[in-house]
Amino acid sequence: MELTFSAPVTEHHFVFRCLPMEDRQQRCYGLEYSIEPSGRILELTDGLGNRTCVGEAMGFHDSLRVRASGTVFVDRSQEGEKAAAAHPLFRFPSVYTVADEGLRRFLEDTKRAWGSGGLSGTNTSKAGGERAVEPARSRDFLEYLMNTLYSYFSYVPGKTDVTTTAAQALEGGGGVCQDYAHIFLALCRLMGIPARYVAGMMVGEGATHAWTEVWILGAWIGFDPTNNRLVGDHYIKLSHGRDFGDCTIDKGCFKGFAAQKQNIYVKVEE
Amino acid sequence: MYELVDHTEDINRLLARYGVKFGIYKNNEFHEQLFPFDPLPRIISAEEFAFLDKGLSQRVTALNLFLADIYSDKKIIKDGVIPADFVYSSKGYLPQCEKIAPPGRIYSHISGIDLVQGKDKNWYILEDNLRIPSGASYPMIARELTRRAAPSTFSRTHISDNRNYAAMLKETLDYVNTGGINVVLTPGRYNAAFFEHSYLAERSGAILSMPQDLFVEDNKLYYRQYGGKKLQVGAVYRRLSDEYLDPLTFLPESLIGVPGIMDVYRKGNVAIVNAPGNGVADDKGIYYFVPHMIKYYLGEEAILNNAPTYLAFYEKDRSFILEHLERLVVKDVSEAGGYGVIFGRDLTREKLGELAEVIRTEPRRFIAQEVIDFIDLGIVEGDHEVPRKADLRAFVLAGERTRVWPSGLTRFSRNPDSFVVNSSQGGGFKDTWVLSR
Repeated sequence: MELTFSAPVTEHHFVFRCLPMEDRQQRCYGLEYSIEPSGRILELTDGLGNRTCVGEAMGFHDSLRVRASGTVFVDRSQEGEKAAAAHPLFRFPSVYTVADEGLRRFLEDTKRAWGSGGLSGTNTSKAGGERAVEPARSRDFLEYLMNTLYSYFSYVPGKTDVTTTAAQALEGGGGVCQDYAHIFLALCRLMGIPARYVAGMMVGEGATHAWTEVWILGAWIGFDPTNNRLVGDHYIKLSHGRDFGDCTIDKGCFKGFAAQKQNIYVKVEE
Repeated sequence: MYELVDHTEDINRLLARYGVKFGIYKNNEFHEQLFPFDPLPRIISAEEFAFLDKGLSQRVTALNLFLADIYSDKKIIKDGVIPADFVYSSKGYLPQCEKIAPPGRIYSHISGIDLVQGKDKNWYILEDNLRIPSGASYPMIARELTRRAAPSTFSRTHISDNRNYAAMLKETLDYVNTGGINVVLTPGRYNAAFFEHSYLAERSGAILSMPQDLFVEDNKLYYRQYGGKKLQVGAVYRRLSDEYLDPLTFLPESLIGVPGIMDVYRKGNVAIVNAPGNGVADDKGIYYFVPHMIKYYLGEEAILNNAPTYLAFYEKDRSFILEHLERLVVKDVSEAGGYGVIFGRDLTREKLGELAEVIRTEPRRFIAQEVIDFIDLGIVEGDHEVPRKADLRAFVLAGERTRVWPSGLTRFSRNPDSFVVNSSQGGGFKDTWVLSR
């Protein structure tokens, strides 16, 4: 990844979430990375369990280059993260995934189309007041929902930007992987199903990718609505969070009067 | 105490000179206005204060346990005492603070609890302020000046000395300090409470620092001295809000934050006072549950009562609210600073209907409270003493133990018809005397 500035900047503080996660399904070997110009770098973990590289480049510089390389073994047939329950946080709307009329209607229409009279298993839980889909059928329905979204929403780069919310994207009818993921998140959370945003990479893509993980029957299952398929071994996960805001590859601040440009190049080979 | 009346003007003049002012942003312009001081104190008897002391300490102890629970095991949610909705849909809940164990396990070191005394003589809690409650410096300096103006008043009457606030603050900071100096972090001269920041720093022996004076190196926080020498910081009494604290964790556009400070804090290398993420506990929706928290964590009944509150989220409460809408005050839990507060008695029939409809469709958003008729205190206006509405902000400091400062900020409304005592609405303040016997 490279950040370039139109004029030199100083006192640049940054946090990168660009290293593959290490969990039961993913393991990294021979991971190496470099940041130029180099300064102090610390490897830390954030509140959601993501790996972060926190550092600074204090002197004048007009670009910041991060290179990371290594081998990641992915085995999605392994049992995922062990937890008795999903963090309840992921059940509630976040900045990018607040539901509006359009999203609600989309969900209702899909439910109607799926089975006559919607979901027979739909009930209202007493504690939260939110709807929960009967677990045994939720996976089938979510795949159907993903399929419906895939055929309704078009992949149009440039139509949306990093500030576009799920509601805005759906209304516009097109966007990129981030928007697919946000819409899918918003729909899951509308049903009271915990879902989280995932930033990562895929074999054969030139940029980073984003998808969704949904908590079904005690496990996180990856759904990639951009490609209308379940997440398999050719996906490498970098970070997860409530939405894009928690998973930005690069976040930082600097001093200087300059415009910045971010280029990300990803190469994943099997 | 009436000797003080003759000195009102002098004291106000000195307060202005010391910079006891309130800064307000209106239409993007910075205005400063004086914070008028009324010489007649609110007097609280020793017996009454002992009661408040117990009740407030209990409340803050429970709130601290709640925060520790919410950012770790969440037992209170699992046990069904508080619905998850109220925690996770609160703007004050910050997932960035998950699993951070702050030094000393204290979250709310300095709490400002707002109370009123009803005409029935009962005290009611109106609001908990657990983020960066301000106001302690005003009665401190007022006491300094009134003692100077009329020393005999203070030798004749048995009043608890409130000038120990700085020492209490220092003790609190020292208790959580992880090694290094104490600093007061102020966003700067144009902050509404800059006087307080500088005064408290000076009195407690902490260093008053601007954001650019602090920096992070090797996961430790340092203060850069004038000559360039660096000193490690062990406790930061920060007077800027969570979202501006660290551009790397919260708002990247913050210019007044310290990049990386949250990581230092997560590592346990510095204490942040008050802890980030406290907003989840002083939320209007959570307020309803504080008596439940006290019971849950301490196994005690709440000593101090909330104002009678109904939660539209619960069906029983909701139907009560809808039936008595015209006499209740309805508050939007997601709003703060006096916004989203609707008095039923001010609405037309039609507007009441609209409000009822919103409550029905979005019950989680609202709480309703009985309007409390609270007592008036006398203030001096010209040559007369006139009654005005007043509240009390009590300061509770949590360190090795939790203590209530034997004083507090009494704010009053200058408008005879108003219940709003906010300083931003032109209200004034009084000293609060706690009698020592």
